[in-house]
Amino acid sequence: MSRTPPASDLRRPLSPAVLYLLLALADGALHGYAIKQEAEARSDGRVRLGPGTLYAAIQRLLDAGLARETSGPATPANGQEAQRRYYELTPRGRRLLRDEVADLAHLVDYARTKPRLA
Amino acid sequence: MRLYRLLLRVYPAWFRDRFELEILDAFAEDRRRARDRGRSALRFWIQTLADLLVSARAVRRSRRRTPPDSQRHVMEALRLDLGHALVQLIRRPGFSIAAVLSLALGIGGNAALFAFADGFVFNPFAYPDPDRLVTIGSTFPRVSEEERFIEAISVPEYQDIREARTLTSWAVFDLGNRDMSGGDRAERVATALAFTDLFAPFGLRPQLGRGFTPAELAPGGPDVAVISHRIWQGRFGGDPAIVGRVVRINGVPTTVVGVMPPELLVMGTDLWIPWGADPLTMPRHFRPLTLLARLAPGATLAEANTELATIAGRTTTAHAGALKEYEGWRVAAVPWTTALMREIRGAMFLLLGAMALVLLIACANLSSLALARSATRHRDMAICLALGAGRWGLARQQLAEVVWLALVGGGLGLLVAYVGLPALVSLVPPIANTLGLTPTIGWRVVLWAGALTVGSAIVVALLPVYQATRTTSNDALKAEGRGLTSSRGALRLRHGLIVGEIALAVVLLAGAGLLVRSFVNVQRVPLGFDADRTLTMRLTLPAQRYRGAAINDFFQRLLDTLATTPGVREASVATQLPLQSRLTTPFRIDGVEAPADTLPTALITVVGGPYLSTLRASMAQGRALDARDRGAAPRVIMVNQAFVSRYLPGGDPLGRRVVLGPADRPAPPVEIVGVVANIQNSDRRSAAAPEVFVPLHQQTVNNQLFLLVRTDGDAPALLSTVRSVIAAQDADQPVYAVQTMADVVASSQFRGRFSMTLLVAFAVIALALAGVGIYGVMSQAVAARTQEIGVRLAVGADRGDVLGLVLRQVVRLTLGGLTLGLAAAAALGTTLRRSLFEVGPFDPATMAAVAVLLGVVALTAGWLPAWRASRVDPILALRYE
Repeated sequence: MSRTPPASDLRRPLSPAVLYLLLALADGALHGYAIKQEAEARSDGRVRLGPGTLYAAIQRLLDAGLARETSGPATPANGQEAQRRYYELTPRGRRLLRDEVADLAHLVDYARTKPRLA
Repeated sequence: MRLYRLLLRVYPAWFRDRFELEILDAFAEDRRRARDRGRSALRFWIQTLADLLVSARAVRRSRRRTPPDSQRHVMEALRLDLGHALVQLIRRPGFSIAAVLSLALGIGGNAALFAFADGFVFNPFAYPDPDRLVTIGSTFPRVSEEERFIEAISVPEYQDIREARTLTSWAVFDLGNRDMSGGDRAERVATALAFTDLFAPFGLRPQLGRGFTPAELAPGGPDVAVISHRIWQGRFGGDPAIVGRVVRINGVPTTVVGVMPPELLVMGTDLWIPWGADPLTMPRHFRPLTLLARLAPGATLAEANTELATIAGRTTTAHAGALKEYEGWRVAAVPWTTALMREIRGAMFLLLGAMALVLLIACANLSSLALARSATRHRDMAICLALGAGRWGLARQQLAEVVWLALVGGGLGLLVAYVGLPALVSLVPPIANTLGLTPTIGWRVVLWAGALTVGSAIVVALLPVYQATRTTSNDALKAEGRGLTSSRGALRLRHGLIVGEIALAVVLLAGAGLLVRSFVNVQRVPLGFDADRTLTMRLTLPAQRYRGAAINDFFQRLLDTLATTPGVREASVATQLPLQSRLTTPFRIDGVEAPADTLPTALITVVGGPYLSTLRASMAQGRALDARDRGAAPRVIMVNQAFVSRYLPGGDPLGRRVVLGPADRPAPPVEIVGVVANIQNSDRRSAAAPEVFVPLHQQTVNNQLFLLVRTDGDAPALLSTVRSVIAAQDADQPVYAVQTMADVVASSQFRGRFSMTLLVAFAVIALALAGVGIYGVMSQAVAARTQEIGVRLAVGADRGDVLGLVLRQVVRLTLGGLTLGLAAAAALGTTLRRSLFEVGPFDPATMAAVAVLLGVVALTAGWLPAWRASRVDPILALRYE
């Protein structure tokens, strides 16, 4: 296995980019570009996803079984929307995200008790 | 946009196929927004390029899986996998050597045994349609339940049997030996005396010349011979003008009329001549014939047997009055290969079964080694899975290792087979190898070894791959931290394999143990004679040169000369040897009324010279036959103790008189002058059969006798001396069937020894493999628990506790395997019953010994890892991450 260096972004703790990506999907299915927009907007620009990075990450989520392709919203807003592929969290992806967020919350709670950090 | 599309080629094809359109969309959208925001084109392109390169690298790394549409990539990946696997294997020489050796032993042993079985059992005949070639077996339940095929049928019986319409193309012959001289020296040649056209049922035509004509087969026909291919090549140098040449057979000028092709092997015979005797003169109870036939077109074996049963019934009705042995007489057609190999085949299947078990153990061992190995890579794998490595990709890497192991193991296995086969063949004494075949490693064996290799590879690879691919990335990722290197399921699987392995080893050990005990028990049965330093050989005086009194004169003169020859202690002659006596005579006790048609039979052995002292057999009562017992002297015999206890119980047997011979042709009564302590006469395992010993000079002459010579030193060393004594008396007289008495003893139990030796060898291999397995699993377990053990030691456990901790595990596994194995052994024991001698199929002592032996090996194998665990340095262990 030595020739495949572990990419750190799917190991917990998850990398911020992956975390934002998963969080973007937490409300429901989105198409690729919408994920990017959501992630970039919610991170206040801390996360930037070029087209390649975006789809490479999506591919990894798919392979790891954290996300899957879906048929998209039942009523597409317009014709163009209908042609796009939509992605949603798998139950596992949701679980992983929930665990991760809980851990982070715990961490943050703890960090909050340190007045010098404030 | 076109440029960007071009740049997308940095991604693998499968990625582009999937996302190209979406990426282009996103790119267009990004560019539009960048322009809207008034960003510089340069900055946009730098970002885009960086994005492309970084993500392309990530994509390529995340998934080594090659797209199915790209053959080139598949080959490339295969090369990479194999290379990688080789490096991995070389890095762990311990694992690799253990694995390869396990496989080599398993496959090699199996292939050698297959070659052996292939040569001797499954394919000894290259005849067309060998399944339809049958021999006729005859069973006389009143005499013995043994079904006999060779020299088992009399001429009148043959004439009854050949009425069968379901059988055709009869080959009927008597086996014998003839002196053949084509010039310089006389040679004894195994011969079939043809009663009918000998070659019809084989479906083979003579390679040169022709077979026999009816005129030649008729009594008093011309002296002609057909010879085997090997004798034609060996003795006549493949002379193309051999047909028509005259050779001397037993001194009689005989014309060679044909040469058979090399495929023809009639029980090791090389010379075929017409029988010549008048069939009408042959009595019904003289049974020299061996019968071969083909099933008639359209007839089945079952139909033939039904018909034969009817015929046997008719014969019984007609003749059981005069010849009691016909009561319940059975004749049956049996495929010839089956008949010849019936006995060795049983042992062969037993051994193939045993060998299969060994291979199974080797595979279980390998699986468990591979599992232990994959456990250490468990997390790696899980990470790869999480990163998007395909399950197939992971499986392929495991497979690549197995492919190497199997290739090397299988190759070494063939080598093992090549080396082992001669050893296997050497276990069969030449005298028992009636077919004269030498098995070789042919393409069928290579194919078999290949199939075994592939089969084992699949078995070995399946479990770890299954285990690895069943792992979900999350499970392993969550099992972060120390201690847990393999999931509970994997551990249980490995323990299961070890338990199974131990159980299989127990089964083999139990079988081997039972056979060893049987063999020892057989050895314990006293022979009744001393087989050391005794040379035996056979002489047949040709009727052309020796007739009547000249025959006994020859033998007496030979014994007299040998008695004074240096190196010879005693010399004597006999019509048959101990352990292989077959000649019987009907008799009745004089003065005891017995119905003429139910005479009992006893073995009858004609002896000359100091027979008993040559064998170092002893008298129980009375005197031995000696020089007094000549033609004119009162007619006397010795009997053995079995004879006395069966037929003369109570009272003094000495002085009792016995009438030998069939009721219709009784000989004058003879007096018992001595009782011989029992000698194992008919075979090694049965109690001595009743036997009478008749003096050479008071019996109708026998021109064919065994010579027994007890020597001062090594028996074979005296052979040339004995030969020259015989040559001095008659330069043209060959000797044959030379063997020491020890050889006779060995061949009488070769089947038992053969099975036992091999089963013991298998059991030892199995035991060794089980030991390796236990060692491997325990080492792995200890390595995985190093930190836990460190903690235990740190909090005050002493080293003995740790030792016990590990050994308890070993004991648990061993007990599980033992229980399972003993249960299986009990279930399978009955299949061995026929091979056992004075030991039950579930002999408690044997089973206890097996349990102890296995326990010792298991504890020894577990000891080293346990000891290593107890030596763990707590500081290092705790620091070890």
